[in-house]
Amino acid sequence: MQQGLLLYLIFFPLAAGLAIFPLGKLGSPKLRDLCVQALPLAELLGALLLLWFQGGSVQLPGVCGFGLSFTAGSLRTLLAVLAAVLWAGTGQLCPTYFSHGGDCSRFYLFWLMTLGTLMGVFLAADLFTLFVFFEMMSFTSYVWVVQEGTPGALRAGETYLAVAVIGGMSILAGLLLLQQLLGTLTLDQLSQAVSALPAEQRPWLYAAGGCCLVGFGAKAGMFPLHIWLPKAHPVAPAPASALLSGILTKSGIFGVLIVSRYLFWADLPWNQVILGLGVITMVLGAVLAVFSIDLKRTLACSSMSQIGFILIGVAMQGYLYGENALAAWGTVLHMMNHALIKLVLFVAAGVIYMGTHALDLNDIRGWGRNKPWLKVTFFLGAASIAGVPGFSGYVSKTLLHESIVEYIHMLHHVGASAAPFQAVEWLFLFSGGLTAAYMTKLFVAVFLERGTQEFPPVKSYMSRGTQIVLACGGGALLLLGLMPNLTMESIAQWAGGFLGADHGHAVHYFAWVNLKGACISLAIGAAVYLIVIRSCLRNPASKRPYLNLWPEKLDLEELVYRPFLQKLSFIGALCGRLLASVGEVFVLIGEKILFTRAPARFQPKKDENFGSYGKKARRFLVEETFSFDLILAGIGLMALLLYILL
Amino acid sequence: MVLLLPVLLPLAGGIFVFRQTMEERRNRLALAVVLVTAALALLVCVLPEQRLELLVIQGSQHLALRNDGLAKFFLALMAGIWVPVLVFSFPYIKHEGREAQFLGFYTMTLGALMGLAMSDSFVTLYMFFEIMSLITVPLVLHTPSRISRRAGFKYLGYSVFGAGMALAGYFFVSAHLTSPSFVAGGSLASSAQSHQTLLLVVYCLMIVGFGAKAGLMPMQAWLPAAHPVAPAPASAVLSGLITKGGVLAVIRVTYYMYSPGFLQGTWPQYVLLTLALCTIFVGSMLAYREKLLKRRLAYSTVSQVSYVLFGLLLLTPAGVQAALCQAVFHAVAKDTLFLAAGAIIFATEYTRVDQLRGIGQRMPVTLWCFTLAGLSLVGIPPLAGAISKWYLLSAGLAAQVGGFGVAGMIVLIVSALLTAGYLLSIVVMGFFPGRDFPVQARQEVGPLMYWPLILLAVLCVLLGLLPAGLIDWLGKLAGTLF
Repeated sequence: MQQGLLLYLIFFPLAAGLAIFPLGKLGSPKLRDLCVQALPLAELLGALLLLWFQGGSVQLPGVCGFGLSFTAGSLRTLLAVLAAVLWAGTGQLCPTYFSHGGDCSRFYLFWLMTLGTLMGVFLAADLFTLFVFFEMMSFTSYVWVVQEGTPGALRAGETYLAVAVIGGMSILAGLLLLQQLLGTLTLDQLSQAVSALPAEQRPWLYAAGGCCLVGFGAKAGMFPLHIWLPKAHPVAPAPASALLSGILTKSGIFGVLIVSRYLFWADLPWNQVILGLGVITMVLGAVLAVFSIDLKRTLACSSMSQIGFILIGVAMQGYLYGENALAAWGTVLHMMNHALIKLVLFVAAGVIYMGTHALDLNDIRGWGRNKPWLKVTFFLGAASIAGVPGFSGYVSKTLLHESIVEYIHMLHHVGASAAPFQAVEWLFLFSGGLTAAYMTKLFVAVFLERGTQEFPPVKSYMSRGTQIVLACGGGALLLLGLMPNLTMESIAQWAGGFLGADHGHAVHYFAWVNLKGACISLAIGAAVYLIVIRSCLRNPASKRPYLNLWPEKLDLEELVYRPFLQKLSFIGALCGRLLASVGEVFVLIGEKILFTRAPARFQPKKDENFGSYGKKARRFLVEETFSFDLILAGIGLMALLLYILL
Repeated sequence: MVLLLPVLLPLAGGIFVFRQTMEERRNRLALAVVLVTAALALLVCVLPEQRLELLVIQGSQHLALRNDGLAKFFLALMAGIWVPVLVFSFPYIKHEGREAQFLGFYTMTLGALMGLAMSDSFVTLYMFFEIMSLITVPLVLHTPSRISRRAGFKYLGYSVFGAGMALAGYFFVSAHLTSPSFVAGGSLASSAQSHQTLLLVVYCLMIVGFGAKAGLMPMQAWLPAAHPVAPAPASAVLSGLITKGGVLAVIRVTYYMYSPGFLQGTWPQYVLLTLALCTIFVGSMLAYREKLLKRRLAYSTVSQVSYVLFGLLLLTPAGVQAALCQAVFHAVAKDTLFLAAGAIIFATEYTRVDQLRGIGQRMPVTLWCFTLAGLSLVGIPPLAGAISKWYLLSAGLAAQVGGFGVAGMIVLIVSALLTAGYLLSIVVMGFFPGRDFPVQARQEVGPLMYWPLILLAVLCVLLGLLPAGLIDWLGKLAGTLF
């Protein structure tokens, strides 16, 4: 049963995608739309059954050369269920979103195939299987980014594909090194193999881990490989951006978790790197989001920032080693919360886009004023991601925060300096504040302010299905946030098993110790909103009050990567041409020596049957002139001189 | 006697194809000859190993055929791909003109290849190698123009010169061989040890000579010259199969005359590995900068066939296994790519890459096949190329070749990135021309052209999904060489 279920989860969407494509092409769009809504629900049902039938694993020997193997349980199952939920949710939005025309059959094909490949990533029992599906996922999701076909989308797609290919090849290199070092890629055997590794091979392990980190980090949106994220999300259709942001980045995080947990468990330098990158990602994402004036770009940058939070959780697990329950729970729960929150927010953004066909805050100002349903659900998502107590985001952020605090205590206890971690703690709270600030900015702009253009109240601005999705998502966030001990803790305990978390102890989320962090964050958020956003980034007198003050030039991709790659390709081509012409030079010399060429001119003669070749064409002027003779004489004299002198 | 049939039948049949003036009959005849030859080749593959001595030249030198494991491998590979490309070439070559000439030589080439695959002594190998070079020149020279004449002679010159180098080498080596026939694992006599330096120099020259056919630097220049001018089906087999003739010769010299034990850890191994890695990089890099589609694919062949040579020169069983695997997967993928390029030329006359914007709307089937083959060549799982790349890289890391394992990994990964750059850019441009691009009418080629394409593209996928049988068989074959 479990085995069939696992195969169903992975291969059903792949097959369904292939089946739905001709359906749309051959002219039954109604049926196709129905399928798009129903198929992910069938998948969700399968994923929920996975909760019932715990465990189980399945092997497909010989497929793809080394055989694929899948297994379920703990974090894998959680992520699989989350993926199915997100697909089911966005599936309800799809038909209305694409009803304005355009060829969406192709989109649906890749949309469903990505679900299957993502399931393959989450349920993989060894790194080879994970790699196979990870690569497939990168390519199938590429189509999402370019679906709209605008110049921006094409350029973003280029970036996305380049990052995906480079990341994929990097993972390939990492996995090959790992297999060479450890002799196995099965997850269960990795830790053992690592502990048996001789110390002098350790640098190679770091090289392998680094390669994997590049690939997985790129997918997760980790600095400095985040470049695709703020570009791809705004241009992709809303159902796709919800998934890109909500769950595809998690596949990268999943990879980082595996590498951290199974290869570098409690390895200090490794965790320092992850922590450093996590902090940069977190702060940079938040700052970018504050400056952004595009609804979906803000949400995308917010995703990047939240990935930073999660990465900090990953690193803290390694630091805390034996007592890592808080960090592991925080990581797992923040992954889950972020996925659900982004589902709600991006679906809402999709609804807004369908109503206005704009994403610039200045154009959509006040659109949501008379739309209570959307307003409430957006608020639920925004409050949750900002970490307002009572919402789910608060719980996971508190856990992550507590894990940092715990480590600071530990350092104090042994008398070591905790200054770096205090800095991390403050940056953590600061970024939390920024999150609150930019979410407030969005909410105020779309739902509270009165815009320049009046939007007439529309009755049916979203379909029934979308309404249900928003309500369920928002409701779940509230429910999880209000009863954390009942709901979230048991989920965390169950899913944390994958990360080797200990049992931990129940946390009093609404005690003052824990509320304090959230309050500091929210206070910072209020200050940033009032001081920076209201007064610096906003010009109330103008018709378009929201100013884009982020300098266009300050873009890592345009500033560094593209010029660097261009230079590199130029140098490479130069070397290539030089090397390639070695053989040609020999041939040329050989031709000169061996053949006397017939002259190019052919003169037909009138009085004979046969023509004849004319005089030798003068190819080099210099050979025929007096100065050339002088040069030769000069060279001869110099040679003579040298001979006499030496 | 049955060994001789697949060699003689196409060589003789080709003459009849030449003389046939009715188009339909000619096509039918060519197809019949090639199909029967393919069937005979498969029959030879399933027969137990046997040897057929044709003729004694002088002393111990003789012409002989034998269907050993390696021969079976190349027989199946070449015969298998020859058929779909032939079917594709019927409409294509009608469009180009001078059909009789092309089909005749095309049929005859198969005979030469069959002989090459089954040759049991160096003299036989050399003979069929030269026949193959000579017969394929008219395929390159098909369009009568100055450029193609020059390209044809370049091709001939490089091939003959390379084979000549190898033959010269054989005069030195033959004195130190215990048997004139090929022996798995090498047949060096005990006197070889005392002439090690000489034999190593000779080995290096022989491989460089035969390597010319496989596009190994420094004699790779004929490939980018010959491919753009040759008709697409000719480019497909030149690139996919004829270059593998060079690979076969390299294997015969390295593993059936010399022995891997004699060569392991010697300087020729490192020199040739360096050459192979340089070729891999240079080929990909130049392909990345190339604007002409078929020349881009030709550079890609330069790079990809050197993957095979890299695997062979590791001198380990895993390396040989990976190399043969790569030989198959590259042949299938590259033939798909060249046929797709041919289909595009056939339907639109586009030869430059920048003209291919939006081609996916006009020719979706063709571009889909191109995409699958391209992804396979880049090495994206679950397509075939990914499997051989994985095997190659892990064989490189496992082999005791100093820093060459890691260097090989870096070069191969860089090359894969460049491959993605030069192939996927076409796919992206073709399928996603942008919203403002005018809608194009569908302009697909006929079924005779797209079915072979689809067949080969599906093979890329199937070989990637279920390669286990092939890989095990190749593993066994590689095991016999050590």
